This record gives sequence, C-alpha cells and structure tokens, in this order.
Amino acid sequence: MLIELHDIAKIYEVGTQQVHALRDIDLSVKENEYLAIMGPSGSGKSTLMNIVGCLDTPSEGSYRLKDTEVATLDDDELAEIRSAEIGFVFQTFNLLPRMTAFQNVELPLIYGRSPRSERAERVWETIEAVGLKERAHHRPNELSGGQRQRVAIARALINRPSIILADEPTGNLDSSTGEEIMQIFRDLNNAGNTIILVTHEQYIAEHAARIVKLLDGRIASDALS
Amino acid sequence: MEFRETLLSAVRTLRSHKMRSALTMLGVVIGTGALVAVMALIAGLNSSVAAQFQSVGTDIISVSRYPWVQMGDSEEYQDRKLITRADAEAVGRLSSVGMMAPNIHTRRHIAHEGRSVRYTLVTGTTAEYETIDNFAVESGRFITDLDVDRRRQSVVLGAAVAEELFPVRDPLEKDVRVGGKRFTVVGVLESKGSLFGESMDDLVLIPISSFEKAFGKRRSVVIDCSPAEGVPIERTIDDIRQLMRIRRGVPRGAADDFAINTQDDLMSAYNSLTGVLYFAMTGIVALALLVGGIGVMNVMLVSVAERTREIGVRKAIGAKRADISSQFLVESIILTGLGGVVGILGGTGIALLVKAATPLPAAVTPVAIALAAAFAVVTGLAFGFYPALRASRLIPIEALRYE
Repeated sequence: MLIELHDIAKIYEVGTQQVHALRDIDLSVKENEYLAIMGPSGSGKSTLMNIVGCLDTPSEGSYRLKDTEVATLDDDELAEIRSAEIGFVFQTFNLLPRMTAFQNVELPLIYGRSPRSERAERVWETIEAVGLKERAHHRPNELSGGQRQRVAIARALINRPSIILADEPTGNLDSSTGEEIMQIFRDLNNAGNTIILVTHEQYIAEHAARIVKLLDGRIASDALS
Repeated sequence: MEFRETLLSAVRTLRSHKMRSALTMLGVVIGTGALVAVMALIAGLNSSVAAQFQSVGTDIISVSRYPWVQMGDSEEYQDRKLITRADAEAVGRLSSVGMMAPNIHTRRHIAHEGRSVRYTLVTGTTAEYETIDNFAVESGRFITDLDVDRRRQSVVLGAAVAEELFPVRDPLEKDVRVGGKRFTVVGVLESKGSLFGESMDDLVLIPISSFEKAFGKRRSVVIDCSPAEGVPIERTIDDIRQLMRIRRGVPRGAADDFAINTQDDLMSAYNSLTGVLYFAMTGIVALALLVGGIGVMNVMLVSVAERTREIGVRKAIGAKRADISSQFLVESIILTGLGGVVGILGGTGIALLVKAATPLPAAVTPVAIALAAAFAVVTGLAFGFYPALRASRLIPIEALRYE
C-alpha cells in the first residue's frame, strides 16, 4: 500500500472556536492508482491534498507513505519527502518566471542534490517525454498555457516521485488544451505512475479510475468512476 | 542546494532588477570607496611626512622659548626670558651633548642689483648648524668658525634665493644686501624641498656674530644640538633641562619656562592628528555602511515579499529552509560584494587622481582593499540575515496562496 490515511483530522482554531477542515478521514491508495478527490469549495479537498502532498501535517491521525509515518515529521524532513516522493502540478502552473523551461524542470533535481553530471540528461529525457524539446530554452512568458502546464508536469516527474498530485490542472486552460493535458496524465498512469487529481469538476474527475467525494470535511463516497 | 546553483540563481535575480540593485548598492559603494580613498590619502600623507622629516635631520634637540607644537593657551607662553648665547655655550659644554649650534632668526629683504627677495628668513648661526640641521652645500662653502670669530660679512644663500637673485650668473663672491647691510656670498645650498608646504630653500645664513652686529642682540637664541655619541637622547634632554632650569632660575615644582623640542614631538602631534582623522574616517565609513546595509535589508525584505509565491513553490518541490535562506543570503552578499568592488575601484580612482593632481603621494594599500572587501561582505551578511530568515520560515501553503 502506497498511502494509508487513518483517522485523519485537521482542526483550525478560529478565535475560541474549533473548525474541522477534515475529520474521520480514512483513505488508502495503491501504487499505480488513478484517483480523483472531488468536492465543492470548502469541502476540505485542498486541505486533504496538502496533507497527502506533505505540505501540511494533520492535527490528528496517521499518514503512512510507503511505510513511513509522515504525520509527525518536521519541516525539513517533509521537504525531503516532497522532493523524493511527491510531484505537484498546480492550476496556475507556478513556474519560476526568470528561469527557462529547462531550468524549471531541473530545479527539483538541484534541491534533491542530484549529481551535476546526471542532471542535463534526465532533464532532456523528461522534457522530451512531455513533447517540449524545441521550447526548452524559452521562459514561461514565452510559452502558451498548455506548454506551461507541460513544463510543470515535467518538473513534477523529474525526481521520479511516488505520487503525482494535480490540483485543478486544467482550470486555467481551454477545453481542448485541457484534454491534451488529461491525455498526458492518462499516459503517465499507463506508464505506472500513481496520479491523484483534485478537482471540483465532475467531468475532470471522471478521467480517473476512482473518485473520492468530500463534503464538509468528510468522505461522502469512495467508488470506482 | 549546491553553492554554484545558489550563486547562479542569485546573479540571475539581481540582473533582472538592475536599477534596483544598482541603487541599493550605492550606500556600500560610498562606504567602501571612502574607506579606500581616505586610507590611501593618509598613507600618502604618512610617507610624505616621513620623507620630509628625513630631510630635516633626525635626532635634533632644539631648545627654544616656545614649543614647536603649541597646545592650549598662548597666554602661558608670553613674556618668557630670552635665551642667550651664554646659555647656548653652557649647553654645548654638557658631556651628553655632542654638537651644538646656536641660531637666531629674523626676516629681511635680500637684494642684488635691482632684484630682491622679500621677507626671507635670515639665520645667524655657526658651522655646526650644517651638520645638526642637515644642510648640504651645492657650491662654495658653509659658515666657518673663522667667519664667526672674525664677524665676517659672509652669507650662504638658500637655493630659492640664489635662483631668484642670480638667475644667470654664479652667485659666489658677489655682494648682496641683507636687510640693507652688505654681505658677500660664500656659498649656495642644495635644494631641500618643502616641509609641510613651506619652502625650506627661502633662507640665507650668516655668522651669528655678524647677525648680532647687524641686527642687534636682543633676540632669543635657539639652541640646536645633538646627543653625544652613544648617549641616549633622553639623557641628553634631561641634562639640558636641568641646566636650563638652573640657569634661568626656575623654582622646583614649577613648569619649564622654555621648550625642548624633538622630532618625536612633531611625530606625536602628527600622529594624534591622523589619529583623529582615522577616527573620523571610521565613523563616516561605519555610517555609510550602516545606511547602505539598511538599504540592502529593506530591498531584500521587499524581494522576499515579492517572491513569496516563488518561495512557496520552491519549498513545494523540495527546498529546505537552509536552501531558501542561503539563496537570499547569497543574493545579499553578492549585492554588497559588488558594491564593495565598485567602491574599491572608485576609491582607488580617487587616490590615483589625488596622486596625479596634487603633491600628495596617495597610495592604495592592500590592507585598505582587504578591509573594504571584508566590510562589504559582512554588511551583506549582517543585513541580509533577517530577510533570509523570514524567507526560510514562510509556510508553504500560505506562500502558495499569496497573490
């Protein structure tokens, strides 16, 4: 089992009140699954994604990622886990504007302390895999939305993570470009990657094999799509 | 993160905000430039002064009514008894004194066939003056004992006076009028240059006895002497002081009513002057670097705020706190380091300019450059620290949501 979430809760103190962004979350994800987490705004899906992606720690419960308990790790340890195991794809791409596509994709390797000699080859490999070889030395402002998202996907893949977490990946793209991106995810899943999609759109969620629906911080349903 | 990558990333960031970086560097440029320039000026001053001291002659003890360097009220120094030739001879007879030359001074016009030099220093002295006060004769001879014994109307011209009165002809054996009195030129001195801006060649020397005959005896004598061979200068000074106090009837416990000047006094005065200069310079440089540093910190804080989202992304893809803080710290140090380089170049330029355009031999020392560089780096470190810390402590989720 790749991911095991058990009794996860996330509680915020707002003044004197306690707000449960998540409660009683039990979720297991196997390798190579293609999963969508769906829900309206305020359902807790972003909070859950942050916890799964090791950007945040739960207030209660246990999160075992590849048999490591990550719920109690400190900031630097979480950073290491993110570097090695998680690949993020954001709605707004979040590429670094002053760096070329190549340099953006390379960055996780640098933080992961990959040896210099290996880096260039791996970056080219991954850039080619998303079909952006000709645009590798362009800056993000010289690329279209779809191209930027491809760079982001390449960046997410570069460290060969266990999980690819995509937060509304087509939210800023037109429908045909969006479909292209969803195709890439499908290909990645077919190639053995575990994909977790977070979205509020039903038709995006249906690209995945399994849909987990959240409502008011709880899992309302967890079924094959 | 690897240092090279951090460096490249920092340079990239600074290049993308050229104007802002340049303005931020200004404080550091001024601080380091000032440091290098002023240290060069002081070094030049030091070597110039040392050279000038050399030409005066070391180990002179000069006994006069008033000290060379006067501190405090001049009231204290008024109405002191004259020092006489008898005093001078008594000093000359001390065993700890080697050579002694009494000298009296006035200022007169020197004239020759229509040409004249005004307010020239006229010094009446003896043969020993040549050695003690480090004069060199270029042509002819110096004053001799015979000149003094016979009260001869002989005069030795300083280089500037000879040049002015005898532009073409040889001055030797010619007659000149010293303050209206006729004297014959027996020698011309080599040029001695200038001491603190005053020409040392604008003078004439006559026998002390002839001086008294021509200009009267009611003047104070200055006693120039040197320590006897093998005698430490302090002992000579002590002996002279004792003798003079007795001769002038200075009561026990009262201060001297005369002054014993040595080169050391001048050096101390000079050193305390440059001490003040150094102090002032340190203050200015520290201020400039402080202001510059605050500017750097301000810009770095703005930079961190601007790049909040970027920092969130970097953390999301695996950057640790140290990766983030080192990135911003390196940016800060490069900013101030570059400012330091520009400042050092600027300060060096100013020093070279001064050296070329003025008599001051300003010299940029390696110490000054090293110090300036060190200050620049430390400023970057100190003032970049807080912004770097803030950047590293940003919470990824919040940073990613930042607009």
